[in-house]
Amino acid sequence: MIKQTEVSGIPAVIAPTTGPMHAGLVFRVGFADEPLAKRGITHLVEHLALHAFGVADYHYNGATGTEYTFFHMQGAEADIVAFLNGVCRALNDLPMHRLPTEKEILRTEENTRGEGPTEALPLWRHGARDYGVATYPEWGLSGISPDDLRAWVSHYFTVENAALWIAGPAVPAGLELTLPHGERRPAPAPSSALPVRPAFFPGPSNVVAWDAVVERSTSAGVFSGVLERSLFRSLRQESGLSYTVQAAYEPRSGGRAVVTAFADALPEKQGAVLGGFVDVLASLRLGLIDDADVTAVVNQRVEELTRAEENGTRLPGQAFNLLAGRPVQSAAELVAEVRAVTRDDVAAVAAAAFADGLLMTPGRTGADWAGYTPAPSDSDRVAEGNRYGSMDDPELSFVAGERGVSLVNDGSAATVFYDECAVLLAWPDGARRFVGHDGIQVHFEPTLYPNGHAVVPALDARVRPELRATMPSRDPDRIPRPRPAQPAAATSGGGGRTWPVIVLVVLAPVLLFFGFLGLIMGLTAFDDDVDVALEITIAVMFLSFAALAGWGVFWAVRRLRR
Amino acid sequence: MLRAMSQPSDVVFDPAAAYPGITTLRAALARRDWAGARAVLDSVSPSDRTALIRTCGDEKDLEDFLRYVLRADPRDGAAAALLGFHLVHLGWEIRTAAWAKDVTKEQWAGFREHLRKAELVLIDAAAYNPGDPAVWTSRLLSARGLSLGIAEIRRRYDRLNAAVPHHLPGQMELCYSLEPKWFGSWEELHAFARDCALAAPPGSPHGGLVAEAFFARYGAADDDAERARLVRDPQLQADLQRVAHHSVLHPGFAREYGWVRAANAYATLFTLLAERPAAARMFGLLGNLATVDPWGPSEENAASNFRKARAWALGGAQ
Repeated sequence: MIKQTEVSGIPAVIAPTTGPMHAGLVFRVGFADEPLAKRGITHLVEHLALHAFGVADYHYNGATGTEYTFFHMQGAEADIVAFLNGVCRALNDLPMHRLPTEKEILRTEENTRGEGPTEALPLWRHGARDYGVATYPEWGLSGISPDDLRAWVSHYFTVENAALWIAGPAVPAGLELTLPHGERRPAPAPSSALPVRPAFFPGPSNVVAWDAVVERSTSAGVFSGVLERSLFRSLRQESGLSYTVQAAYEPRSGGRAVVTAFADALPEKQGAVLGGFVDVLASLRLGLIDDADVTAVVNQRVEELTRAEENGTRLPGQAFNLLAGRPVQSAAELVAEVRAVTRDDVAAVAAAAFADGLLMTPGRTGADWAGYTPAPSDSDRVAEGNRYGSMDDPELSFVAGERGVSLVNDGSAATVFYDECAVLLAWPDGARRFVGHDGIQVHFEPTLYPNGHAVVPALDARVRPELRATMPSRDPDRIPRPRPAQPAAATSGGGGRTWPVIVLVVLAPVLLFFGFLGLIMGLTAFDDDVDVALEITIAVMFLSFAALAGWGVFWAVRRLRR
Repeated sequence: MLRAMSQPSDVVFDPAAAYPGITTLRAALARRDWAGARAVLDSVSPSDRTALIRTCGDEKDLEDFLRYVLRADPRDGAAAALLGFHLVHLGWEIRTAAWAKDVTKEQWAGFREHLRKAELVLIDAAAYNPGDPAVWTSRLLSARGLSLGIAEIRRRYDRLNAAVPHHLPGQMELCYSLEPKWFGSWEELHAFARDCALAAPPGSPHGGLVAEAFFARYGAADDDAERARLVRDPQLQADLQRVAHHSVLHPGFAREYGWVRAANAYATLFTLLAERPAAARMFGLLGNLATVDPWGPSEENAASNFRKARAWALGGAQ
């Protein structure tokens, strides 16, 4: 039975457990709160707060999630007290001398962590803000300063924004949890980058993934289980097309929940996995749900709840509820709720989920044929301003204007307006990348544009400084250079250089000859009174020939210099 | 014209001559009598039902009527399959059978839009009726036009085959998709057709798949040398003969759906190979019932070839 109490002003849930004692301290802060320019700051705080426990032999850990960050430990009462008090002490005074080292560790962690099959979904659904931020790399790391960290901690890691759970007989003696005071910080409202749903976007060729945001409810949790069973039966048991088939239900603090599902695929079977996936979603949307599936999922959930109640693993979720302002529910209440879920409840969730769905289609497939709308992948507007042609790709141009930047390529454009910019990535070599709120990116490599480096300061000046994230230096080999214009043509003698050379050889003498004669005629025309008009006419004609030849020579020289 | 009219029953291409259900179904659809249409469809075998639905998908102006039927009963698989075939047919009318390079942008857009509409109807229909072979056969057709790829087409065929094994109209659709101009190769096409034919019960018309696959390749051959090579190919010819004895030449050869196509394809083959007794047996079965394929590119041309071959084959007996 879970009881509520308070420790040093922090609300707490406590319940006895059959196993060893464990406890955790959770804060209402996560990726969703991070501006993209500070992406990684919560994770960095978590690492710094745990640094003091580096080599101790404890079962402790920290975790940074989308909405919550927590520190937890399992072990003897005295060790738990020392750990949680120590975390609070560290949060009050982060070991800033560790900053460069912890940043390096985080970069390595990010580099070695594989990309999850459903990781791209939040970006396409929410763009580059709040719930979409989780998809992005920890771009803020390089630029985060001790002051940034102190400000972040005093905003989020406070008594009012914390909750505690204890799986054990009582609040351990000596638990102090000294934290600064602040305010409860509700999770941000989710942004949308999907004007029309159901929608799809292209992903890797070896997976089909899908998600939907629905009302948070017990029946939505059961729906995710039914979805997994249906996908497993169709894609693995009947067709033998997928090996891993999973669905998950993740509640959000704002009264909504995300249902996510994916199935893996061999690249040559991607079309069939997509087809099977589409069919399963359609069946559930139409309410064609097997009673046996609902019963099986309900029984499984009841069993999980009972087990979780015994070993205290329901407690973290209830601590999250405290922070989200939701009631703490007893296991008996939850079990009753789960048991009350009917097939019709699940069907209603399925219909709502389908309507909100975002499908990641594998490789070169799409899902417009199945009634899904392409998620926006380019911009419908182009910034007004100076246009710079790429020296690397004749089709590509970069536009820098008063209000925003665009990359324009063969009829499609990517545009970021400065007042809708989520981050400006700045490399020391001058490269810049703008990421818009909608997730659209405009990348500018100054080496690829004539006078590109001269444009950079003007770009920097237009973006608010707090949106800027400094990137580590790049290896000089990774800084792009324009491809030399048709390198093969020069050696083979055909194509690119032949015509300019011929034009030069033929027209240069023509230019000199007619130019010289035209000038002489023009100058001498006025020396005598004989046929002035005729001499001037001839002079003008000769000079016109010279001008034409001159234009040809100019063209040829330009071609040869490129 | 006068000659043709003076011999009305000499060579008959209308499939309704062999399958009278077509006429009844057409009439029911023309008077917008869905109960009447269902009475025809519910009384025949699954193959006949799919074939009837496929044939009558080419009738005019069915969309509004069938959508009305489906609004009243979204679970009506026959109505959904018919609407699916009909919309695909409308799409192909826009696209025309021209080479892809000669199809305009607008034609492609209209084609794709109709196939999408068909597919949306069929996705729901397959969910409601996962065991309806006409729905899956229609989805084989829409998948091909939408270029969903051979893996998805195979998945749909597998679902069809799991629901109703040896479903000849569906096997015919997969055969088209296995032609090199779509998603397969001549070898895959031949292997699939042969395996279907030999897996079907003895005397089934499924043998026609192999002869039709042969003529698809024969007709697409570059030159006479290639055609001569195909006629002499020992493996190909051995398979054709083996399948013929399992199907059209089997004593129990049944006059079920597909028999006219099978007997015509084999009649053409036996004529090509100058196997007179076998050809005579085919014409004995067929009488005046002909198909355009593989006799010729047009009805006129096919009729002339059919007559000549029949006269040659039956000449000995006359």
